Order: sequence, then structure tokens, then C-alpha cells
Amino acid sequence: MQKLTRSFNASRRDLLFATLLVTPALAVLVSLSIYPLLYSIQIALQTDGPAGPTWSFANFSRLAGDNFFLAAMAHTFIYSAVALTFEFVLGFALALILNSTIRGQRVFRAAFLIPMMIPPVVVGVVWRLMLNPNFGAVNGVLRQLGINTEQLTWTASPRLALAAVIAVDVWQWTPFVFLVLLAGLQAIPQEPYEAARVDGSNAWQTFRHVTLPLLKPAILIVLLLRTMDLLRVFDQIFILTEGGPGFATETVSLYIYRAAFRFSDFGYAAAMSFVLLIITNLISAIYIRLLQSREGVA
Amino acid sequence: MNGHVHTLLCPNNMNLTKPIVIIAVLLLLISGCRNNSKRQIRLAVNVGVEGEALKQAALDYEAQTGIHVNIAAFPYANLFEKEQLDFNARTGAYDLVMLDDPWFPRFAAKQFLADLTPLLQKRGQNQPDSDFVANSIALCRHPYQTGTLFALPYVGNSQLFFYRKDLFEKHKLPEPSKWDDVLSSAKKIQEAENAAGNKIYGYVMRAAQGNAAVADFMPIFWAFGGEMFDSNGRPTVNSREGVEALKFMLELGKVSPPGYASFNADEVGAHLLQGTAAMSINWPAWISPFDDPAKSKVIGKMAFTVLPGAQKPGQAEIGNWLIAIPKDSKNVDAAMDFLIWATSAEQMRLSAQRGNPPTRISIFKDAELISKYPAYPAQLHSLETSRPRPRTAQWNEIENAFGIFLSKANSGELTAEDAMNQANAEIDKIIQRQ
Amino acid sequence: MSLKREVDQFANPPRWLFFSPTLEHYYEAFVIQSFVQYLITSAIVAVASTACALVLGTLAAYSLARFELPWNLDRKLSLWILSTRMFPAIVTAVPLFLMMRDLRLLDTRLSLIIVYTGFNLPFVVWMMRGFFVEVPRDLEEAALVDGDSRLGALWRVVLPLVAPGLAATAVFCLIVSWNEFLFALVLTQTDQAMTLPVGIAGRVTQYEIKWGIMSAAGAVAIIPILAFALVVQKYLVRGLSLGAVKG
Repeated sequence: MQKLTRSFNASRRDLLFATLLVTPALAVLVSLSIYPLLYSIQIALQTDGPAGPTWSFANFSRLAGDNFFLAAMAHTFIYSAVALTFEFVLGFALALILNSTIRGQRVFRAAFLIPMMIPPVVVGVVWRLMLNPNFGAVNGVLRQLGINTEQLTWTASPRLALAAVIAVDVWQWTPFVFLVLLAGLQAIPQEPYEAARVDGSNAWQTFRHVTLPLLKPAILIVLLLRTMDLLRVFDQIFILTEGGPGFATETVSLYIYRAAFRFSDFGYAAAMSFVLLIITNLISAIYIRLLQSREGVA
Repeated sequence: MNGHVHTLLCPNNMNLTKPIVIIAVLLLLISGCRNNSKRQIRLAVNVGVEGEALKQAALDYEAQTGIHVNIAAFPYANLFEKEQLDFNARTGAYDLVMLDDPWFPRFAAKQFLADLTPLLQKRGQNQPDSDFVANSIALCRHPYQTGTLFALPYVGNSQLFFYRKDLFEKHKLPEPSKWDDVLSSAKKIQEAENAAGNKIYGYVMRAAQGNAAVADFMPIFWAFGGEMFDSNGRPTVNSREGVEALKFMLELGKVSPPGYASFNADEVGAHLLQGTAAMSINWPAWISPFDDPAKSKVIGKMAFTVLPGAQKPGQAEIGNWLIAIPKDSKNVDAAMDFLIWATSAEQMRLSAQRGNPPTRISIFKDAELISKYPAYPAQLHSLETSRPRPRTAQWNEIENAFGIFLSKANSGELTAEDAMNQANAEIDKIIQRQ
Repeated sequence: MSLKREVDQFANPPRWLFFSPTLEHYYEAFVIQSFVQYLITSAIVAVASTACALVLGTLAAYSLARFELPWNLDRKLSLWILSTRMFPAIVTAVPLFLMMRDLRLLDTRLSLIIVYTGFNLPFVVWMMRGFFVEVPRDLEEAALVDGDSRLGALWRVVLPLVAPGLAATAVFCLIVSWNEFLFALVLTQTDQAMTLPVGIAGRVTQYEIKWGIMSAAGAVAIIPILAFALVVQKYLVRGLSLGAVKG
């Protein structure tokens, strides 16, 4: 008798309970993200005129003609695409290779965790020191290997600077890709492999038809997270090159920062942020669509 | 069986709750507190040699008067951002701010700074005394030279030309007075020294985008006859003279250390101190390290003179650091007391002894200081004949754009003509937006 | 290998500029300049914001994992919480600055704690939900039958089971808060509230990058993280991967 009563009342009370649990977290998130969002929309759609702020699309139309903005977008995309490719390929390769050796895994994992966890500011500072053409460690080592480093002025040549900045990101985040993919690989049960072996498939076929599909969720999550973070990158570049030389490493985040804090042009900065936000959303939506469809299959 | 599970898991967690709550409350309490106990004023300064003297002065002030001067130090670009953000949002976070003179027109035009004249009058003065170098005080007025006084100058920086007199004597070259001489001497020295096995570059400069490139380029630009704006206020950086000046800068770049296109003051200083570069434009604040055995390999070998000329006589670019009081400060009077104290003759003298270039004529002519800083006469002359960068409220955007194109030219991405043309177009866009 | 080189570099910056022995930089950074203060601030802010995020986030995650809210709200909420991670931080920097100014919280640690809690919440919810989903309902049902309340069941039965995940999430949040730069830069104005990353960046000047001080400060910034990494690395990996694989 008692049990019946409890479970009957439970459902409505449960709902209340559930809602109560979620509310504080939601409240914090809403206040910290909805208000700024609304405010940003407001200032993005306003321009300062002699008679005070007026509602217009001027900030957005200015974006289309702004060579700096378009260049920054290009840099951001190149940066993200190249870094993502390297991080993914290297991370995946490492995961596959190190999946077999069980010995010393603890040490490996700890060592690989480190670059990810260093404050990006410190990463920027240290690499800036190491990339100094005359006194830095990178050129020092190259010189000892006999390579002429006269023209290797990492932070002074536009193309080299972008390459250097990408390299730093790859150094810092490949471990993340590696760790997640490794865990994913290790979570795959043995049965499919056994079945494949029984079926007589070779290494490549096994990989393609067994490993890859089972790894899809992990792969997609990794790609999603990295892409979101790469499109937003700020800290390390700010310290490493400040967008230089001559705008060569300026990403959209840096340009937004400059517009907001150096030129006090908050409306313009907000407009740019929205463009970036929309693009990020689009790309993420694609990833999530793929992820969801995979889950359905699995 | 279920009860079993229950009791197993039950005991441990209960005892943790209380200590956690207590710690959490304590943390929140600590974090919310602000230290308002002592009387204090807050000063925003630049991280670097310029801010150092002011920091020292602040400590002296506290020792003398008991008022705590809370110093917030930021790197150059960040200092500007912080001050601007503070003024825009009217937070009143700082009672005194240090500003580089090119920032002044913007802050003054937007009425962020307190008018100093009434504050001076309250203390018995009608205007700053005539011991201040005229050009320095002119910077503190908006409009330039004639308008209301919003700041007082503290660091009397104005560019000097640094060169290795020992190398010049060795190769029998006269002191450079024209930019062409600079280039030819640079080439001669570099060839001769490299042939003798010494890795020395003829010249070194700052060409990192932004303030660095523009500041080092303006004297060359002006000497070649270039002007940033014509009499109608339209930009003319791509005039024939301007392009010539940029081409000359690129020539100088060929006798500069590789990578100079991203050099800032510390790289330039390093090359000069290490003796690997023979000439440069630089600021007086960098003079004292040359005689410091811990830092310099060229003690006694550097000489300082006024900037070379070309079609026009050489003019240094003035780059004073000023101190102003934000309008929204809550301690305007206390701040003014400090400001008057810090810019008084005796305090300036003290800070000059610590290496800060003064802004008072009497101190430049002080015999004791001259024996310590033999370049003082050159510095004073440089200050008095210097010219400021264009006094426009949009200088930040303009410097940013101009600096980017200068940097692109120096890194080889654009030709001199293209760089100047594109720069001109950008600057025009910026002006039109006003 | 490059890891090693850095650690070496921090331990002994062999720079031609500095003739004095190494420890002097640590001394100068910590005693003379305000780095001890930055360190304490970073620590307080990181711990407090992690604690808040954990509490709020875990509760929310439990709710989302266990209950089906009307209108498929729980699924939508999860997605929305994930999407907050996509915001470029700059978008929110200025409005938050103004908000903090109006609340008179500018330049205080509390403002940073609030903002970092906001950062960490989505991640905590996402991770913990993944863990909660793994725990079979029977144990809680059993506890309920035994006379426990829902909250009690959560506290006594479920939490101990997800403790490793909780730990991993906690460590991750601590690291994110410890390393955060942009908001600390914008929301702090004087030494009283500056964190370690801001302090380090503040030494990158136009005229003289004070490498010695920065290396010392950087080393100290990394040490707690290294310690954590070694201690928790197993859980961290498991946590990351569980979140990833189960989605």
C-alpha cells in the first residue's frame, strides 16, 4: 500500500524536483549569455550619428568592404583548416600506433597531457622566446644541425609567422586528439575484430569496415570540439605575434579585440562577432547532424 | 541486500558537507572584499623604463605623506586599452593615468580628462611655470598648443640618433648629419667589419607593425619632405616624397639585421648593447643601459646626436609621456596634489638622477646632471626642435593602419608604392568615418 | 622532447642578458612584484568557480539524465548548453564588463568567479550527464524504496559511483579557470584582482620583455597543472573519452 502511494505521487513531484535542479544552472547561464547576446545585438545594429545612436545595418555592410576583416577571415580559415588537419592526422596516427603497446602508457599519457594544460599565455611567451631568430632555441638547434637560419625569421616573415603559429597550436593540441581517439580505440570490444579475422579480411579492410565506423562518434566529437576552439583562437596568437607581421597572423578574434578595445568601436566588434558566431554554428550544425545520424545507426 | 549497499555507501559522505560549506563561504567572503582601509590613489603606468621612474616617485610620495599610491602597470598597448575602457565606461578605476602623447588628442577630445587649470588656480598658480619645456606643455593642451590644459608632462622623451663613434673614428667617417650619409656609412662599416670577421650591421630599427614602425619612420618621412595630411586634412602619405622616404627605409633595411621587420625596442636595444649594430634612432631612456657593465658590451663607445636631415632639416619626433587626471576619478584633489609634487623641480631632478628624461629646462641645464648624462644638451635641443605626430583623435586607427602597411613593405609583401597607396586609401577611409 | 627543453629553460634561463644566478628571478617576481598576489588570486578564483560549477552543473546534469522534461526540453537543453561553447569569448567580454560595472563588481575576484562558473557549467553538465546516464537506475530505486529522498539517493548512492568522472571534470575546470586569460584581462583593473596569466602577459612590454621574471612566473603557473596531470591522468582520459564516446 505504502509503495503504491509513493510512486503515484512521485511523478509530479519528480518533475518539480527535476526542474528545481536545473534552474540554478540555467539561471547562471542565461544571465551570463543571454544578456550579453541581447546587448551585442543592440550595439551591432546601432551606429553613432551626430544625433545619437540610430538603428541601421551600417556595421554589417562595412564588414563587406573591409579588407582587413576579409583578410582576417581568410587567416582564421587557413589556420583552422591546416591546424585541424595536422592535429587530426598526427593524433590519429599516434593513437593507432600506441594502441598496441600497453607498457609505459601511464607515462605517455601524462606526458602528452601537459602541452594541453599549459596556460595559452605561457605557451605564447615560451614559444616567442624560442622562435626569436637570433637568441631563440629553435634557430639555435637548427644552426647546430648546420642549417643556415639567416632567413628564418619566424615572427618577421608573413608566411613563416602563420606557419609558426599553426605549429604551436598543433604542438599544444595534438595530444588532445590523440588521447580521445586512443580512448575510443580502446573502448572498441574485441568481437568485431575477431569476426573480421574469421571472415578473412586484411588490415586495411578491418580498419575501414570495423575500426572506422566504431570510432565515428569519437572522431566527430574531436573534430567538433577542435573546430570550435580553432575558430575562436586568441590567447596564444595575441602573445606570440599580436597579429603581425603586418596583419599576417591576425585572426577574426584578434581583429574583434582590436576593434573593441583599441578603437572603441564596440558596435563593429559586435557585428563581427555575430558573423563568426553564425559561421561557427553552421559548421557545428553540420558536425552534429553527422554525429546524430551515426548514433542512430550504431 | 539493498540495505547493505546503503550502509556501505552512507557514512563517508556525510562528514564532508560541513567543512565544504564553511570553506565555500570563507572563499566567497575573501573574494568580495576590497581593500579600502588606507587612503589611496590609483595610478596607471606603463610597464617599462618610462613607468619605472614614476613608480619610484610614488613610493617616495607614500613615505613622505602616508598616502598609498596603488600602481597598476600595463604594457603599452594594453595600457591604452585599459584607460580607454575605463574612460568609456566611466568606472573611475584610476585617479591618475600616464599617457603617451599621441593618445592625448583622443582622450581630450572625448572629454575624459579633468581640466587642470582650475585645480592649478586653487593652488595659487594660473598656469604651469615656464620652466617646463614649451613643446612638452604644448602637447598637454587641447587643441594643440593653445587650448585647455589637461595634463602635465613627465617623461621628456624626444628621439636621438645613436651611433658608434668608435667605429666612425676607426673608418674615418664624419658624424652623420644627413640620411644619405647614414646609409653610405652604414654600408661601409658593415662591409669593412664583416670582412674583418666582425658580424656587425650598419643600422637597426624597429619595424614591428603599429607604434614601433610608425615612430621610427616619421623622422625619415618628415626629413624627405613628406607630410601625413595636407592643409585640407586629406592624407598625402603616398606623395612622391612619402614614397621616396619609404624606399629609403627599405634601403636601410638591407643593412639591418634580418628579422628587423618585426623588431621592437627590446630587439633594437639588444643589438646596440651587444655591439652588433652601428646606428639607430632611439629614445633617451635607452642611454643609461649603455654604461651598465651588466648589460652593455659597448661601454663608452656610443654617441648621441640630433636626427639627420635630408631635403628638410632633421627633426626628432617628440614622444613625451604625460600624466592626466580622469574626470571620473573620485580623488581628483588628492591626485592633483601628487601630480604637482611629482612634476615639481626637485622631484623631477630626483627622477632624472634615476634615468628619467626630465621635462624642465632647469634640470637639463643642471651641471651635476650633465656630467652624469653628457647627452643632455643634445636631448634638450632635440626636445625644443622636435615635432609631434599628427594631433588627431583618430591617431590610433591611423597608426594601426599605417603601421601595418609599413610592416608589409618591410617584410617584402608590398612594394613601396603599393604600400603607400593602400595606406593612403585606408587612412582616408578612417578620416571619412569621423 | 620539446617539453623537456621548456622545463629546462624555466629552470635555468641561460640568457646572455642575465648574469646573475637563476633564483634571483623567482625572488624578484614573487617578493618584489605582485606575483604572489596573482598566484593567490588565481588559486582562489579557480577553486571557487570550479566548486560552484560542479555543484550547479552536477545537479542540472542529474536532472537532465534522469528525467524527461516536457517538450523534449532536456534534449534541447543539452544541445543549447553545448552551443554556448561556440561563442567567441570576445562577444561577451564587453557586455559582461558593463554588467560587472553596474553591479560594482569590477576588479574583484567575485566577478571572475561568476564568469568562470559560467564557462565551466556547460562542460560540467555535459560531462556529468554522460556519467549519470551510465549508472543504472536500480540502485537509486532501491534507495528510494529504503526510504531515502531523491536528493539523498543522489548524494549517497549515485555520486560515489561517478566520483572518478567528477574528479576528472573538476580537474578540467580547475585548469580552464587557472589558464583563462581574456576575461581576466578585461575585468581586472589593478593588482588586487589580477590572475597569473594576466600578470605574465603584462610583462611582455614594448621595450623589454622581462624573460627572467616571466619564466619564473610561467614555471609556477605550470607546476600545479603538472602535479594534477600526473595524479589524475587516468581519470582525465577516461572522463574525456567517456564523454566523447557516449556523446
